[in-house]
Amino acid sequence: MAEIAIRLTNVSKRFSGTATDAVTELSLEIPSGSIVALIGPSGCGKTTTLRMINRLIEPTSGRIEINNNDVLSVPVTDLRRGIGYVIQQVGLFPHRTVAQNIAMVPKVLGWEKARIADRVAELIELVGLDASLTNRYPDELSGGQQQRVGVARALAADPPVLLMDEPFGAVDPIVRCRLQDQLLALQQKVHKTIVLVTHDIDEALKVADRVALFNLGATVEQFSTPDELLRAPRSEFVERFVGEDRGMKRLALKSVSQLPFDQGTVVDARCAVPDAISVLDNAGADWLGVTSGGRFVGWLHRDDLIPGADLGAGPLRQPAAQVTPSSTLRNALELIMTSATAGAVIVDNDRFGGVVTVEAIRKCLSSEDQ
Amino acid sequence: MLAQAAVPRDIGLFEFLFGSKYWTGADGILASLSDTVVLCATVVAVATAIAVPLGAGLAHLRRGELSVTWIVTLSRAVPTFAIAGLLVPISLRRGWGFEPWPIFIALLLVAVPPIYLTSYTAVKEADANTVDAARAMGLAERNVLFRVELSLATSVILAGVRVATVQVVATEPIRAFLGGDGLGRYVRDGLGQNNDNLLLGGAILVASLAALTGGLFGIIQRVALPVGVRRLVHRQP
Amino acid sequence: MTVLGDAALLGEATNPIIRWEWVIDEWDQIQAALIEHIELTFLAVMVGLIVSAVLVAFALRFRSATAPINGLTAFLYTIPSVALFGLLVPLFGLSRPTAVLPLSAYTLLILVTNTTAGFDAVPEPVREAADGLGLTATQRLFKAELPLALPYIITGLRIAVVSTVGLVTVAAIIGQGGLGSLILTGLRRTFWTPMTIGAALSIFLALALDGLILLLGKLITPWSARRRTP
Repeated sequence: MAEIAIRLTNVSKRFSGTATDAVTELSLEIPSGSIVALIGPSGCGKTTTLRMINRLIEPTSGRIEINNNDVLSVPVTDLRRGIGYVIQQVGLFPHRTVAQNIAMVPKVLGWEKARIADRVAELIELVGLDASLTNRYPDELSGGQQQRVGVARALAADPPVLLMDEPFGAVDPIVRCRLQDQLLALQQKVHKTIVLVTHDIDEALKVADRVALFNLGATVEQFSTPDELLRAPRSEFVERFVGEDRGMKRLALKSVSQLPFDQGTVVDARCAVPDAISVLDNAGADWLGVTSGGRFVGWLHRDDLIPGADLGAGPLRQPAAQVTPSSTLRNALELIMTSATAGAVIVDNDRFGGVVTVEAIRKCLSSEDQ
Repeated sequence: MLAQAAVPRDIGLFEFLFGSKYWTGADGILASLSDTVVLCATVVAVATAIAVPLGAGLAHLRRGELSVTWIVTLSRAVPTFAIAGLLVPISLRRGWGFEPWPIFIALLLVAVPPIYLTSYTAVKEADANTVDAARAMGLAERNVLFRVELSLATSVILAGVRVATVQVVATEPIRAFLGGDGLGRYVRDGLGQNNDNLLLGGAILVASLAALTGGLFGIIQRVALPVGVRRLVHRQP
Repeated sequence: MTVLGDAALLGEATNPIIRWEWVIDEWDQIQAALIEHIELTFLAVMVGLIVSAVLVAFALRFRSATAPINGLTAFLYTIPSVALFGLLVPLFGLSRPTAVLPLSAYTLLILVTNTTAGFDAVPEPVREAADGLGLTATQRLFKAELPLALPYIITGLRIAVVSTVGLVTVAAIIGQGGLGSLILTGLRRTFWTPMTIGAALSIFLALALDGLILLLGKLITPWSARRRTP
């Protein structure tokens, strides 16, 4: 497979009867195996661009290549059978069962029955559907389930490219979040080249490897990784589009595991009280964390430290602020801000994994700005 | 009685249609025309008198939901010629003669369903909207609404009357084959006498009347409605 | 409205509403009339289906043709049956085409309207998904659009068949009337039995065919069992 799965070169589209181009001289390279989000304000041409890739809309000029083959060089139906296409309203055939819907393209391609049946079962599992739904009709399914079937149907013939047009827009936020997670999990297994059109910046930032932010006429304002989009917006348009809470959004993209290990004001239970007090003095902190046998057991306020007492004994305040290495920095910050202690405890498989402080978070963000 | 039209066999088509000789007289075109028009008008009038109150009333009382589907199915399934045919012996039996009851009742059955359906639907829609809006706007506005809703309902009902009239006019010619006369008699006589021109002339007359009726109603509908309401009503029942 | 009831009421033996001996004697004639009636209905509706399919296909392909086609079929429908039969006699004489052509013409409005409604009822996302999957236009038609339009087409078929049964009785005036000819025979000979038999049978036929097509429709479109029928 080519390194660049989809290449658009100077692609333009003008609809008859309109004064301006919907898409103006767009050049974009979409790397293989990546998820690229196309995002921008209404009418910017993102959906038009997407639909030119599988020729549901024909470009007025320019060249589109998939794996180095011009899309115009093959019959359009063959082209589309090699591209998965998922739309917001799903478009499941109401008169066919889930299995029959998924089997659409393989049947048309002439696969044997057994192979189709296997593939259908495989896909149902892959998209996280219960096998009991196999012979149900679409109107018996929920919105989220229908969209999963839509994705399964798109992937049935194992196309290298998957196009998605606002696929999760028609479901409620909770289901949307689950579907997004499902998509990421799916991608880990199948490694498709996915182009996803969305109007939800958070969705794009969460799901995509790279984000293309379009302005009117599909003008590329910025095409970069989500983090770079947030950290270094190239224009005021990008800044405004991404939103004022860029910093917080970036924190949502980073995990606790990316921070350097910080022992913080945490000592073992066997530590002597005077030593503990000096740890607190050095750090200028009031709360002492106590571990025992590698496990974090609780916090003690400096005022509660009685010289000569055993740190492990006595009432300990349980950690309210607790994160795992895979928690986002945003979650960590949220927890720290709402707890009495100045840090959150990292619990890694039940063991103490360090402490997260606001300062550490801030340093992490700002150090990348160099 | 099955009066034969006094038309010679070798009459030319145009001579028949435009020669004044054939227009006058008891068996003339004008007489037949008025015969037809009178019957059709009466049927439509009676049908309206029955169907509008019935449909409007039932809709207002929120009953008769099922009647709508039943009437639609039955009215299509009933062959008018057969019904009229069925009624002739009964009518004769009672000493009422060939006309007018069999054809009158048969045509009534043609006219009532469209008018009933549109009356029912019109009032049902109007009622719902009125109640909703009245609640929203306060009762004082109700009068204004009534005027708008009423004219909307009237135009829908009028469309139903149009459909009914056109269908009645189109079906009425069968009367000539059931012991009656009317404009269809020339087709009957043309067939009976093997007179192609008479036949054609009769067919043209019958078709023209139907077309004229449709056109007439088009004008009536245009005139009877304020512009905005007319646009709203351009969905056929 | 039971004809037998009337006969009982009237009780006259000389010219009753139904003289059953006649029915038994002339059963062959009645049967022939019924068969002719069914044949004519079938022929007319078949021709109507084919022509309407062509018209609808045309209108789907060329959107601008929709209005003229609707206008044409509506216009045909408003021509009184007696007139249309009458107009064709000089051309084709008293033969089958004279009857079948107008009968087919009358079905066009119903069939075209309902078929078009059926295709309009196909959800746009389904069409788009079909295209996106790489189905050819023909595949899309047969796999997606036609099955979904079928309930509407069947409704149109029902209406067309039933109204054709009624119109075939009128075709008796040109000698192609099936059960209608029984009615006319009775009229000419002032003999009521064939009239009532002809009338009753044509009503019965209409209702029977309506029910039959309804059942057939339910059989071939099981997925619409759960939804409201159009």
